[in-house]
Amino acid sequence: MNITHRRRTAFALGGLSVAATLVGCTPASAPASPGAAPASTGSYTDGEYSATGEYQSPGGPESIEVTVALEGNVVTEVTVTGNATDGNALRYQTEFEDGIAAEVVGVNIDELSVDKVAGSSLTSDGFNDAIAQIKGDADA
Amino acid sequence: MTPTPSLSFNAIGTRWQIDSADPLGAPLEAAVRDRTEEFDRAWSRFRDDSLVHRISVSSGSFELPADAPALLELYRTLYECTDGAVTPLIGRALEQWGYDSAYSLRPIRGITPAPRWEDAISWDGRSLHTVRPVVLDVGAAGKGYLVDLVAHVLVDGGVTAFTIDASGDLLHHGGRPLRVALEHPLDPSKAIGVALLSDGALCASASNRRAWPGGHHLIDALTGAPTKRVIATWATASSCLVADGLATALFFGEPERLAREFDFEWVRMLQGGSLEHSSGFDGEIFA
Repeated sequence: MNITHRRRTAFALGGLSVAATLVGCTPASAPASPGAAPASTGSYTDGEYSATGEYQSPGGPESIEVTVALEGNVVTEVTVTGNATDGNALRYQTEFEDGIAAEVVGVNIDELSVDKVAGSSLTSDGFNDAIAQIKGDADA
Repeated sequence: MTPTPSLSFNAIGTRWQIDSADPLGAPLEAAVRDRTEEFDRAWSRFRDDSLVHRISVSSGSFELPADAPALLELYRTLYECTDGAVTPLIGRALEQWGYDSAYSLRPIRGITPAPRWEDAISWDGRSLHTVRPVVLDVGAAGKGYLVDLVAHVLVDGGVTAFTIDASGDLLHHGGRPLRVALEHPLDPSKAIGVALLSDGALCASASNRRAWPGGHHLIDALTGAPTKRVIATWATASSCLVADGLATALFFGEPERLAREFDFEWVRMLQGGSLEHSSGFDGEIFA
């Protein structure tokens, strides 16, 4: 059974890692790598990117496919297709599909009056270099 | 809004910024650098002249530096509150996942859970005793602890009002309270809330930072696998050591259990994007 939800949204590229993490897969295309760099530091070619994840549910093997459309480094559309056959997996996949964009909230930091930002987008120099190397390999 | 002047530098592999009402001056700047270097030389898993490296290649008794007790005691409490999921013995599993000194970021096959604390190390308040080499990693709380130690240097040097920002770990001491945006883990241009910080620490952690294809740095010691249910955390406490440790522990443990041991406030984002926070959190949450 297939369920497809299409919705237009605008959250950053990193949103993909939620999907990738949930299904325990590593998308083949570089933009979908977990830990994608902050959108401001890289640019990605516009287009559609897809990744399929397979996982073992208590009811047997299941898979989920995530397709995103990128325009100007912003995710403009997310399509999550669950292929669940087991009842529980179907319910969980449906909840996930409903939740993915609806619960991502945020206010532009530029519009807030703040002194500091607490996040972990700045990580170690060596780590960032290594990640850049891996992304380079994936693009090659 | 940033007070000037401020001092920026790299220490323990990341970016630091100290804002203060008056310039620190060269002697105090040197003292700060010495303190961070001393900490790195003891606790770094990424250099082969560190104490942690020696402990990873030989067994026996190792006299630990004077700053060790507070760090190890915090770790022991977190270990108990998370039923063993948070431990300084996670180093080997991180290496196996590829988070090693060469940053190979390529996992091996057959990743193992961390050894149990009782099986691997004993600590008498002064020396660490091991029966076989162990890879310690103090990444869960070490950076926050170093922020506290640097703050001591500044206070001892007569600085009355300052903010230390060590890329995710913040400590505010004296002066006007800070408004701090809680960076959206999936979109650094957005905030999921704003915290008010006055004479205390705020630490943030996210599993999609320091992540690589197939893995990330928040490894559950019980399974040896990256944790998935929580994707970002923020914790406030009076010390940066405690706030940093709790920011990590909130990925693995329940806030109610941690609240029995620690006085802190927290926010976390679950997989899927929903937010949870403590009722006493000082600030706004955009949910």
